[in-house]
Amino acid sequence: MSGWDGFLHGLSLAAQPDVLIYCVFGVLLGTFVGVLPGIGAMATISLLLPITYYLSPEAALVMLAGVYYGSQYGGAVASILLRLPGTPQSAVTTLDGYPLAQQGRAGVALFTSMISSFSGSMIGIFVLIVLSGALARAAIAFGAAEYAAMMILGLVAASTVGAKHPAKGLAMVVLGLILGCVGTDVNSGVQRFTFGQTELMDGVNLVALAMGLFGVAEVIANIRVAERTGVPPRVALRELLPSRSELRRIPFPALRGASLGSFFGALPGTGSTISSFLAYAVERRVSRHPEQFGTGAIEGVAGPEAANNAAAISAFVPTLALGIPGDPIMALMLGALVIHGVQPGPLMLEARPDMFWGLIASFGIGNVLLLILNLPLIGIWVSMLRIPFRWLYPAILIFVCLGVYSVRGSSFDMFAVALIGLIGYALSFARFNPALLLLGFVLGPLIETNLRRALLIARGDPMVFLQRPIAAAFMVVAAGLIVMSLVQVIRRQSNRAV
Amino acid sequence: MIISRRAALLGAVAVSLCKPALAQDASWPSQPQHVFVGFPAGSSPDLLARIVTEPLAEKLGQPIVIENKPGAGGVIGVQQMLNAQDQKNTFATTINGPLTTAPRLTPNLGYDVAKDIAPVALIATSPLVLVVAADFPADDLAGFVAAAGKEPEALAYGSVGKGSGAHLTAELFSDRAGVEMLHIPFTSYAEVTTAIIGHEIDCGFMAPSAAMQYAEVGKLKILGITSEKPFAQAPGVPVMAGQAGLPDDFRAELWNAFLAPASTDPVVITTLNTEINAILADATVQQRLLDMGWQAAGGSPEDLKQRIAEDTAVWGAVLDRIDAKN
Amino acid sequence: MKRDIPDLAGGVLLAAIGLFVTFYAVGHYEIGSLRRMGPGFFPAFLGGVLAALGVMIALPALGRQGEAIRIAWKECLAVLAALLVFAAGLNQVGLVLVTLASVLIATLAAPDCRIGWRIALAVIVTILSVAVFSFGLKMTVPLWPGR
Repeated sequence: MSGWDGFLHGLSLAAQPDVLIYCVFGVLLGTFVGVLPGIGAMATISLLLPITYYLSPEAALVMLAGVYYGSQYGGAVASILLRLPGTPQSAVTTLDGYPLAQQGRAGVALFTSMISSFSGSMIGIFVLIVLSGALARAAIAFGAAEYAAMMILGLVAASTVGAKHPAKGLAMVVLGLILGCVGTDVNSGVQRFTFGQTELMDGVNLVALAMGLFGVAEVIANIRVAERTGVPPRVALRELLPSRSELRRIPFPALRGASLGSFFGALPGTGSTISSFLAYAVERRVSRHPEQFGTGAIEGVAGPEAANNAAAISAFVPTLALGIPGDPIMALMLGALVIHGVQPGPLMLEARPDMFWGLIASFGIGNVLLLILNLPLIGIWVSMLRIPFRWLYPAILIFVCLGVYSVRGSSFDMFAVALIGLIGYALSFARFNPALLLLGFVLGPLIETNLRRALLIARGDPMVFLQRPIAAAFMVVAAGLIVMSLVQVIRRQSNRAV
Repeated sequence: MIISRRAALLGAVAVSLCKPALAQDASWPSQPQHVFVGFPAGSSPDLLARIVTEPLAEKLGQPIVIENKPGAGGVIGVQQMLNAQDQKNTFATTINGPLTTAPRLTPNLGYDVAKDIAPVALIATSPLVLVVAADFPADDLAGFVAAAGKEPEALAYGSVGKGSGAHLTAELFSDRAGVEMLHIPFTSYAEVTTAIIGHEIDCGFMAPSAAMQYAEVGKLKILGITSEKPFAQAPGVPVMAGQAGLPDDFRAELWNAFLAPASTDPVVITTLNTEINAILADATVQQRLLDMGWQAAGGSPEDLKQRIAEDTAVWGAVLDRIDAKN
Repeated sequence: MKRDIPDLAGGVLLAAIGLFVTFYAVGHYEIGSLRRMGPGFFPAFLGGVLAALGVMIALPALGRQGEAIRIAWKECLAVLAALLVFAAGLNQVGLVLVTLASVLIATLAAPDCRIGWRIALAVIVTILSVAVFSFGLKMTVPLWPGR
C-alpha cells in the first residue's frame, strides 16, 4: 500500500465514530494536562495506560496519541502565560512567548503558537506519508558517531541562542551537561554524584528540574511584582488576534521550523528538543531584527512551535517502523501497542497497515480538532491572566508537586523541586538562561554515551567522526556555525572600534 | 533514612512477634492489596505483573493496586515495598536483578535479600537468544565461536547496560566458550538491534520477542537460545547448551518473581503461592505470558529461594570475572 | 567601588562548582583513556570548562556597575516551606490535609494575609487537586492519613 492510499484508508478507519470520540477525548485531555503545570503527557499516558486495556487497540492508541500531541498545544499555553514549560521544547517557547504576554499581547502569542503548531503538525504528517520509508532508513544509518556529531551540532546551535552573553549561555549548557552526569554511568555502571541516594541512580528527574527552574523560581519572583503591576486591562477580541503585518511574520518561520522538526524528530533520541532549539537559532540568524529575540519576537514563537509539533509527529516513524522509541513518552506508546498485541517494528506496516495508517490519519483529524477547539479558547486563556496572581500561585505550587509525583511516585523528587526552585531563583539574578541548562541536561547523557560508544566501536580512533559521511557533515556545519559567530563577534568589535 | 526506617520497622515486627496470638491475620485479606513494581507502566515487568495480579485480585476478593516505582533497575520497587507503612497488604514483583546482582552492583541497597525478603513464587522465566546480522559469515554456534576466537575482541557485542542480563549472559558465554568479546553498552534492545542491523556491532544476547520479527524479515540471524529446552516463542532456534564446546548445563535465564516482606505471615505466603500457581497453570495466562516472551514457571517459595541462591552464585562469579578484566 | 554583584557572585559560584566537580570526579572515578573513557572523563572535563567560564563571567564584573540584588525573602521562605511540607506530608497524612496545610503556608507571603480568604483558597485548591489527580487521573495517592 502506497503512502497516500494508506492514509486515505486510515482516514476512513479513524473517522469511525467509536474511534473519533476517543480522539476528541484524547486531545481535550492532552490540552488540559498540557496547560496544568507539572503534569504532562508522560504522566497522563502512564496513568491512562491501565484503563486502555478495556478499549479496542485503535481507540486506545488514537486516544493516547491525542494526549501526546494535544499536550504540546497546552504546554505552549502554560509557557506563554505563566512561563511554566513542562518540557525542554516548550522552554524555548517561553523565551519570546512570555515577554509577549507581559506586554499584554498574550493573545497574539497564543494565536501564533497555535497556528504554527497546526501547520507544523500538518507538514509533519505530509512528510511522514511521503518519506516514512526514507526516514526509517535514515534512522538505521545513524550510529553512535552520527548521534554524537548531531548532539554537538545541537549544542553549538544552542549556544548561539543566548548570543547576548555567550559565556553565560555556555556556562548554563555546561552546568546542564554536568547535572546530566548524575546517576548510573551506562558504560561502567558506576554511580556518579549520587552521594548515596538510590533515587538519584537514574539521574535527576527531568520534570522536577524543569518545574523547579521555571515554575517555582517564577512564583517566588512574581508574588510581589504581580501585585504591583496589577491586573491587565480587558482587551477587545480584535486585539487578541495578530495584525496583518504580524500575521505575515508567521508562515516562513513555521515552514522552516516544520522542516527541521520533521527531519530531526525522526531520529530517535532528542530530535524534538534539538529541532526546536535549532529552529530558534535559525530564525534568529535569518531575522533582520535579531535584537528583538528574547523580548517578544513572533518568529521566536512560530519557528520552535512548528518544529516541536512536526517532530512530535515524525517521532512516530522510528517508534512504529523500527520499534525504537525516541523518548520516554514514545516508549510508553510502544508499551501500549504491545499490550494490544501489536508488535511495532519492520513488520508493522505489512502486518497491521490498518493500525499504522489509522493512527497517522488520526493525527490529522486530531490536529484539526485541536485548532478548532483551541482558537476560541484563546480569549479564555488570556482572561485567566486577569485572575490575581495570589489566587493562582498556591494552586500552581500544589500542581507542580503532584505533577512531579505523578512521574514515578517519588517524594524525593518533590524535595528536589524545592531545592532546584531555589537554585533557579538564584540564577535569575544574574540573568542566566535556564532553558539552556535544560538543553544541556537532556543532551548531556546522550553526547557522552554516544561519544564513548563511537570511540569504543572504532577501537579508540577519533577519525571515526570524519570518516563517516553523515557525522562529518554535522561536524562541518557545527564548525561553520562556530566560525560564523566568531566572525560576527569580531565584526561587532571592529565596528565599535570605529 | 531508608535504613533507619527499616530498623524501626524490624523493631515493630519483633514486638508483634512477642505477642502469642497472630490471629488477626486470619481475616486477611480484608483490605485492598498493594503490589510494587520497580518498572514504569507499560514496560514488560509491569505488564507481567498485571497479567498475574488481575486474576489474583478476583481470587482474593480484594482489589490489587499496582504501584509503579521505577528506578535503579527495579531496586526502588523492592525498597518501596519494604518501606511501606502497611506491611501486611504490601507485596512486589521484580525481575531477578534486585535479588541476585543488586547486592553487588548497588551501593546503599538498603535491604538484605536473605533477611528482609520472603520469596513467594517464581512467575515466569525468559531465555535470551544470540543474534547476529543476516550477512554474518557463520550460520551456527560453532562458526560463531570460531569467528570470535580468531583474536581477542574480534567481535563486539551490545548489551542493555553494565550488569544487565544481556551483559552477564554474554560474559558467561564468553567464559564457557573460551572467547573474548568487546562489550558495548546500550540502553535498550531496540538500540542493540539497530546497531547490529547497521553493522556497528556484531552480535548481542537479547529477549526472543525483541529479535524474532527481525529474523522473520531476514535482517537478523538467531544462532542459539540460552534455555535448557527449545522455547515455543522461538521455534527452530537450537539450544546452546552442549554445542560448540559449551557445557551441557549451560543456562542463562531472566526471571520474574512475586515477593513479600520477611515479616509476612507464613499462612499468607502459602495462600498466595497456591493461588499464583493455579493462575500460572491456566492456559490463557500461559499464552499471554508467552506472547510477551515469558515462559510461565511457578513452584514453591523454597524453589524460588533456591533459584535466588543459585543465580546469585552464578552471576557473582561472572561479575568477579568482569571485575578482574578491568 | 563599581561592582556587578550578581555577575560576580554567579561567576564565582559557577567556578567553585566546576572545580568541585573536577576534583570530585578525579578523586572518585576512573578517568580512563580516549579509547576507553572512564566514568570520570566527561565530568572532569566539564568541570574544568565550567570553572573557566565562571572566571570569564566574574572577571569583567569587577569593573562595572550592576543591578542591585533584591531578594524576596518572605516569598522565598513561604514558597519553600510550602513545598517541603507538601513533599514530606503527602504519604504521611494524605493529599487532603497536606494540600490544606501547604496552601495556608504558601499564602503567608501573599500581600493579602487575611485568614478567611486563605482558608477559602485552601479549600478550593484541595477540592481541585483531589478532583483532578485522584478522581480524574486516577493517580495512586493516599487521600487521608494511613492510606
